[in-house]
Amino acid sequence: MEPMTRRSFLTLSLRLATVMGLGASAAPALADALERIVRGRAPTLWLQGQCCSGCSVSLLDSEPVGADALLTRDIALAFHQTLSGATGHQAVETVDRAIAAGGFLLVVEGSVPMDMPQACFFGEEAFGSQLLRAARAAKAVVAVGTCATSGGIPAAEGNPTGAISVPEFLRRSGLSVPCISIPGCPAHPDWIVGTLTHVLGFGLPPLDDRGRPKAFFDKLVHDQCPRFADYEREVFAEKFSDDGCLFRLGCAGPITKADCNLRLWNGGTSSCIKAGAPCIGCAWEGFAAKRDFPFYLKNGQLQPKPKGHA
Amino acid sequence: MKETISVSPVTRIEGHLGVKIETDNGRVTSAHVVGEMFRGFEQILRGRDPLDAQQVTQRICGVCPVEHGIASVLAQDAAYGITPPPNGRLLRNLAQAANFITSHITHFYLLSGLDFVDVAQVTTYTGNDPALVALRDWAKSELANNTVSAGGPFLPQFPAQLIRDPALNLGILRHYLEAIAVRRDGHKLGALFLGKLPHAATLIPGGVTEKVSAIQIAAARALLERIRIFVEQVYLPDVVAVAGAFPAYFDLGRSCGNFLAYDVFPETDTGSPFLPAGALIGGRLQRVDAAAIAEDVRYSWYSSASGRRPTEGETVADPHKSGAYSWLKAPRYSGKPMEVGTLARLLVAYHDGRNTTVKSAIDGLLKALGRPAAALDSVLGRHAARALESKLLVECCARWLDQLVPDQPTSVDFKIPATASGMGLTEAARGALGHWIEIKDHKIANYQCVVPTTWNCSPRDDRDQPGPLEQSLVGTPVADPAAPIEAARVIRSFDPCLACAVH
Repeated sequence: MEPMTRRSFLTLSLRLATVMGLGASAAPALADALERIVRGRAPTLWLQGQCCSGCSVSLLDSEPVGADALLTRDIALAFHQTLSGATGHQAVETVDRAIAAGGFLLVVEGSVPMDMPQACFFGEEAFGSQLLRAARAAKAVVAVGTCATSGGIPAAEGNPTGAISVPEFLRRSGLSVPCISIPGCPAHPDWIVGTLTHVLGFGLPPLDDRGRPKAFFDKLVHDQCPRFADYEREVFAEKFSDDGCLFRLGCAGPITKADCNLRLWNGGTSSCIKAGAPCIGCAWEGFAAKRDFPFYLKNGQLQPKPKGHA
Repeated sequence: MKETISVSPVTRIEGHLGVKIETDNGRVTSAHVVGEMFRGFEQILRGRDPLDAQQVTQRICGVCPVEHGIASVLAQDAAYGITPPPNGRLLRNLAQAANFITSHITHFYLLSGLDFVDVAQVTTYTGNDPALVALRDWAKSELANNTVSAGGPFLPQFPAQLIRDPALNLGILRHYLEAIAVRRDGHKLGALFLGKLPHAATLIPGGVTEKVSAIQIAAARALLERIRIFVEQVYLPDVVAVAGAFPAYFDLGRSCGNFLAYDVFPETDTGSPFLPAGALIGGRLQRVDAAAIAEDVRYSWYSSASGRRPTEGETVADPHKSGAYSWLKAPRYSGKPMEVGTLARLLVAYHDGRNTTVKSAIDGLLKALGRPAAALDSVLGRHAARALESKLLVECCARWLDQLVPDQPTSVDFKIPATASGMGLTEAARGALGHWIEIKDHKIANYQCVVPTTWNCSPRDDRDQPGPLEQSLVGTPVADPAAPIEAARVIRSFDPCLACAVH
């Protein structure tokens, strides 16, 4: 879809105003309204479930789209628990007004405690109930971070709250609102900003079969690894801080889709593997899920060399 | 006249917090602090590989992940009997200090700032600072359009007395925008050695996986210099100016009278911390004895036994427990509630007196504030302590960068014993942090965390003693029950982090 110019908004609005019998003088106001929706002025409502706020903190690290420009230009953030001026009942009212008005983009950070609704509250309301009200009124939902996209650590084996992901919550609630998944623990700020600005400016971005934007999650971490040549040459690290491919220490790059190694983190500063740390698969749907799938293989046996490597 | 006021949710903190206060004739007579979110990290860790711990526990909190990672690798260092090489110790210090500074700047400007700054006043701005002009034009168009969430997320604010002097008000608003860039630099400084932030990749028992190179040291120095200028020329003066505009807050938010701090930032391989441990009880400094720490759960939504030490702690949720009102446990030191945080660290160091740099820096701050040492025990004292600690830690970072040696080891190899246990005591930006690990059969048999905000925001204990924040709120005037800004300022002065507190 071609990005719309002010002129195209005006032309469209003039036609609409005529059709609606409003006269040409109503066109600029109509154009403003249209532009607000398509150009990122549709409000964004950010809710937090069972989360650590790490994805929000990650968003604050965004650049070159800094958080200041993001909040005052690219998105209209109706409410965010960590940033909003509103406190107490004022915060509850702010969220409720946004929900009542509808037509917003709903961002959810964190999982939903299905078996123990008391495990997450906002004001006097259980988070699950708030999320249901908000999702019903939203134009689209964006699940941010692995807790929201697949349950993450709160949903790991042995968890006491029956935590589930946001897409799973929507499915169980019978809601068919479009839901985009941005995994990562935390999500990279570019993944969040890139997805929100795409939705607000151009509609839904191309998604894969897990609802992830293909622009960021199309390739394996392994495929873009700075140590890929070591893997090819069978140079494997056997202890931490060694040079070489980190596969035998348990690197989850071969199963995890994310562009960390090309995009890098914190404004191009580094990445896990670049800094000598095996990928722990934080953007993988099975992240932290099973006790017997450890992040590292230091404890006892190293991972055998991969197939094809003697 | 008696009233009950609910401040729930408390926004602009990390996580899910509610506070119920009772007032009589416009003054708080009692407070109940409610932790509103639970995930069950301690159960989730049981049965996992011990090396999962420093990654899983970082996810307790996206604001203080580095500190949880450090506490976990310290517990594991102890369990495996290893000590990092000098480079490893220095990189851990740098990463931890960078996170403290980032956290303090974020707290003053992005979290607490809107308790003091009048955002809407920017619409009357007549100057030509490009950032303020852009903010003014944005605010004007937002308010003119009158959408349901006009001015979000900054508006609405409580209708309350905010900063009256336009120069100071707009100055701090301008610095809010700068703070966004500086806190980003703080995270970059950490990420240079940690791979990424939040949630550091490189922290491991025995040190850090990342290596040291001259270009990294140079990059770190450049970032640190930008942070230093902001801390010294903007952050510290702003805190002093806000203190001048709200002098009553030197008398509000007084602590429970007890402070606890652990050793942090080892300067040598044998310990010798930059900031020392101590339990300051009723003005008397004592050595910290970890065996004096226990957690009560009488008023917490847990059915597990009350009064357990962390080494034998349990976390069994019971959301229907009668009489309970919070997901936080109530940690006590020798049965006493303790305030933790920057103020506690600096007061302990001040009483300890061995670090003369810290002592004279505190004396300098008191001079700038025109107040005696006792005034630090207040809302404004907590803010001022964070700003001063940021300045001290910038100086520490510069020294630690000088001590790094490129191409020397940053970690030592280790073996994980079948059976072992370890304790990791350190400080997070928000205060004293302890992790306890017990390993059986190469797996985690038990893992307990006693976390800064668990101390500060704890509910009442088994002897009905209110927690530190609950005590600090008592006596606070609340002029307008519909806009309890005074209570909000007391609450936020503790920089609560609820994901940490409950985990």
